[in-house]
Amino acid sequence: MLPYLLRRTLSLFFVLFGLAILIFVIARIVPGDPARIALGPLATAQQVAELRADMGLDQPFLAQLGTYLAGLVQGDLGTSLLTSRPVLDDILAALPATVELALFTILLQISLSIPLGVLAAVYRNTWVDTVTRVVSLIGVVTPGFVLAIILQLLASYTVTIFPVTGRIDPSLGFAADVTGLLLVDGLIAGRLDVVGDALRHLILPSLSLAAAGIGQVMRITRAAMIEVAGRDFVEAARAYGIPERVVTFRYMLRVAAVAPLTILGLEFASLIGNAFIVEFVFSWPGIASYGVRTILQKDLNAVIGVVLVSGLFFVVANLIIDILLGFLDPRHRLQLGARD
Amino acid sequence: MSQPLLQVAGLTIGFTTYGQRRRVLHDVSFRVHVGERAALIGQSGSGKTVTMRAIIGTLPMPPAHIDAGSIRYDGRSLLDLTKAERNRLKGTGISIVLQDPLLSFNPVLTIGRQMDDIVHFADLRQGRSRSGTDRRALILETLAKVQLVDGTRILDAYPMMLSGGMRQRVLIGMALLNRPRLLIADEPGTALDVTTQAEILALLNRLVTEDGLSLLLITHNLGVVREMADHVHVMEHGRIVEAGPRDAIFTRHSHPYTRRLMAAVPPLYGEAVRTTQNHRDGPALIALDGVCKDFMLRGGLFNRITSRYRAVADVTLRIQPGDIFGIAGESGSGKTTLAKLLLGLTRASAGSIRIDGRDLKEFAGTEAFRRLIQIVYQNPGSSLNPRRTVAQQLAVPLRFTGHEGTAIPQRVAALLEMVDLPRTYASMYPHELSGGQKQRVAIARALSVNPRILVLDEPTSALDVLVQATVIDLLHRLRTELDLTFLFISHDLSLMRNFCNRVAVMLRGQVCEQGPTAEVFARPKHPYTRALLSAIPVLSEAEAALKPQVTQAERDAVLATTTALIPADGNPQDRNA
Repeated sequence: MLPYLLRRTLSLFFVLFGLAILIFVIARIVPGDPARIALGPLATAQQVAELRADMGLDQPFLAQLGTYLAGLVQGDLGTSLLTSRPVLDDILAALPATVELALFTILLQISLSIPLGVLAAVYRNTWVDTVTRVVSLIGVVTPGFVLAIILQLLASYTVTIFPVTGRIDPSLGFAADVTGLLLVDGLIAGRLDVVGDALRHLILPSLSLAAAGIGQVMRITRAAMIEVAGRDFVEAARAYGIPERVVTFRYMLRVAAVAPLTILGLEFASLIGNAFIVEFVFSWPGIASYGVRTILQKDLNAVIGVVLVSGLFFVVANLIIDILLGFLDPRHRLQLGARD
Repeated sequence: MSQPLLQVAGLTIGFTTYGQRRRVLHDVSFRVHVGERAALIGQSGSGKTVTMRAIIGTLPMPPAHIDAGSIRYDGRSLLDLTKAERNRLKGTGISIVLQDPLLSFNPVLTIGRQMDDIVHFADLRQGRSRSGTDRRALILETLAKVQLVDGTRILDAYPMMLSGGMRQRVLIGMALLNRPRLLIADEPGTALDVTTQAEILALLNRLVTEDGLSLLLITHNLGVVREMADHVHVMEHGRIVEAGPRDAIFTRHSHPYTRRLMAAVPPLYGEAVRTTQNHRDGPALIALDGVCKDFMLRGGLFNRITSRYRAVADVTLRIQPGDIFGIAGESGSGKTTLAKLLLGLTRASAGSIRIDGRDLKEFAGTEAFRRLIQIVYQNPGSSLNPRRTVAQQLAVPLRFTGHEGTAIPQRVAALLEMVDLPRTYASMYPHELSGGQKQRVAIARALSVNPRILVLDEPTSALDVLVQATVIDLLHRLRTELDLTFLFISHDLSLMRNFCNRVAVMLRGQVCEQGPTAEVFARPKHPYTRALLSAIPVLSEAEAALKPQVTQAERDAVLATTTALIPADGNPQDRNA
C-alpha cells in the first residue's frame, strides 16, 4: 500500500507539470493580444509594446515557457493582469469559497444518492423504486445552470428563506481567517449565527451542482446493489441467519459501493468545471468566478493558475477515491495476481 | 421408526414471472432421519435447488409461491412458523454449505468477521450473549474441527487469500458454528480438484458420524452420492422419480431416467470403458520441446519484478495427426497456460513449439495459423457474445477468411448442420439456447475456418452429464468426418479415459507422466497420477477395487495442503477455479 501511495503521489507531480506545459502552450496559441485587451482600444501602440516587454511576451516562446516553469517550481504563478496582484494570492483568496461549496456538494451527493440507491434496490419494483428513479432521472437531465436559475427564482418569489447571492450576510461582520471555510471557522469561533447563515447560503448553489451527480450515483448504486443481491454470499449470509439490515449494509453495500464511489470521485473532480456557471449565477466569490473573469480578459497567468488548481483538484480527488477503494476492497489493496 | 428430523410432504412450488405461472416442483416428498445421510440427485433444472431453498427459507417469494405441501423439521411445520421463529432455526437447526467455495464468501470482509457475525447474530436470536473472546474461542475450535491448522491467521485472511480446498473447509466450519442438527450440502467439493474433493467428502462423512448430524446432499455427481449417502432420491423435472437405499439405487434401479443418468457417467475401469485409437504415425503435428513459461510478479515503488513464477516448466510433447491428446491436471497445474502457448496467445519463455512443421514464433498471428488451430472454451455462456445471434457469431470468423455475400449464410447453415443444430437456430440469441446447444454453437464457430486442430479447454465441464455424453459423441464424429486433431484439456480423468487416445498428466507446470491412455490408467507410474485416479468417485465397488493404490507418504509428497495457509506471494493458483 505505501509504495503504491508514494508512486501515485509522485505521478501526481508529473501530471500537474504536464498540464502546466499544455495549458501554457494553448494559452499562447489562442488569438488575441493580452496586452491590447488589458490596455483597451485607446492605448497607443507604444504603450502596448511596453506592456508586452514588461510581461515578457516579446521573448521567444521557449524562453517564455522556461521562465514560467522556473517560477512555477518556486511556487510563483506570475502576476495577474486583471488585479495586478500575484496570481497565487488571488487564487488562495478565492479558493476557500469554492472548496467549501465543493465539499458541501459532495457531502450532499453522498448522503442523498447512496441511501436512495439502496432504498430503490431494496424496494425494487415498488412505488419507492419508481419515485426515486423518476426523481433521479430529472436530476440527471436538468443542466446545473437551469436548475440554478429555477431555484433562484423560487427562492426569490416563493420560499424566501434561502438567500440567492453570496456566501454570507456581510452585516454579520465575520471574517473567516483560520481555514477560510465559513462553516469551520464559524464553529471554531463559536458563532452559530454565522454557521446558520453560511448553511442557508450554501443550500441553493450546492443543490444545483449536486443534482446531476445525485441522480447518476443513485442509479449506479441501485444497479450495483441489485447485481450484488444475486451473489451466492448474500444467500449464504441469509441462510446463516444474519439479519436483513446487516446483510444489506455490511454484506451488500460494501461490495456494491465500489462503482458509485468511483463515479463520485469523477463527479467531485469535475465539480470545479461545473461550478463555473453555478458560481456565476449565485455570485459566489469562488475560484470559478475568478476564472471566468480572467478568461474573458485573456489574463494568461491567472488562467493557467486556475486550470492548474482544478487539475490538482481532479488528481487529488481521484487519489482519495483510490485510497478509499483500497480500504473498502482488499483486492484493490493487495493487488494479487501475475502479469506477463 | 422414530420421527424423522426433516419431513417434506407433497411439496408443490410454482414461479410466476411476467404473469406466467410455471410449476417447478410437483408433489415432492422425502424424509431425513436423525443421523441419516440423504441425497437429492438430478440435473440442473430438476428442482433440487428450489427444494433446498424452500427448506432453508431463502426462496424469493414472490416470484415463487408454495402451492401445496408441508416441510416439517423436528415435528414443527416450517411453513407455518412466524418469520422470527423461522429465523431462529437458521444456522442453529438447519445449516447449509453452498456450492462455490469462493462466491459463498463476502470478498471484502475477513474470514474472522464473517464467522463472528454468524455466531453473534445467532446468539442475539437465541437471546444469549457471549463475549468476543468466547466467540473467537468457538470459531477457532470449529476451524480445528474442519482440520485447519493455523486458525488465528485464517481469521485475519480475506477469502481470496485461501486455496479452494481451505475455503471449502472454512465454509463447512461456518455451517457448523452454531451446532445445527441438519446440514444441507449443495454440491460439496464439485467446484474443487478431485483430490481436494475426496478430502472434503471424507471430512463431511467424519463430521456426520462424530457429531450425529443428519445430512441432506444436493448433487448431480453420482460418484459423490455413492460415497456420501445412505438414501437416494432421484429428481427429474421437479418430481422425485425414484427413491431408495443407496445400494438399491446403484444396482437395481428401475426408472429409465436413473438408468440413463448412470449410463452417461464415463466409467473409469471395467468393460464399459471406451478406448479411442489412432494408428497414424509420421511427423508430429504439434511438437513441443523444453517449453517454459514464466510469469513475473511486480511490486514496489518502481514496479520491479519481485518474483517469478514458472507456470509451464520444460514440457516436451508430440501430438500426432488424428490424436485426441488429453492434458490432465488440477487447477494451477499449467494446463490452460499450455493451451494459450499453443494458440500463440502468449509467448514461451524458453523452448520451441512447432506446429505442422513450422516454428510458432514465425507464424503465430498470421491467417494461415488461425486457419490451422482454433479453440473451444469451457463456458459457452461467457465465450459467446450475448448480444449477437448465432448467425452473427458464426459470420465473424468467416468474414476474416474471405467469405462474402451469400457464401456466409450458406456456410452458417452448413456449420449448424455439422453440429446437429436446426438451421432455424441461426437467428437465435445465446440466452435462448440450452448449455449444450450453446457449446455446439461454440464448436461450430471454432470449425468455421476449417481448422485442423481444435484445442478443447474443458468443453463439457459446465454441462450436465447427459448433455456431456451427446457433446462427446459429436466431437468423436467431427474428428472422423473432418480429420481433426484434438488437444483436450480437462481435470475429469474418467472422461479422458473414454475420450483420449493419449494423455499427459501435469503437476506444477511439469508433465509428470504421459503415454497411451489405456496404458497410463492401467499402470500409472507417477504417485501423483495414482493419487488423482484413486480420488475419483466411481459408481461401483468393482470399479473402486481397480483403482490404483497410493500411500499417505506419496500423497503428501505430491498434493498441496488444504489445511494450512499458502504464503501470500505463492503461486497464483485457482485463477480459473
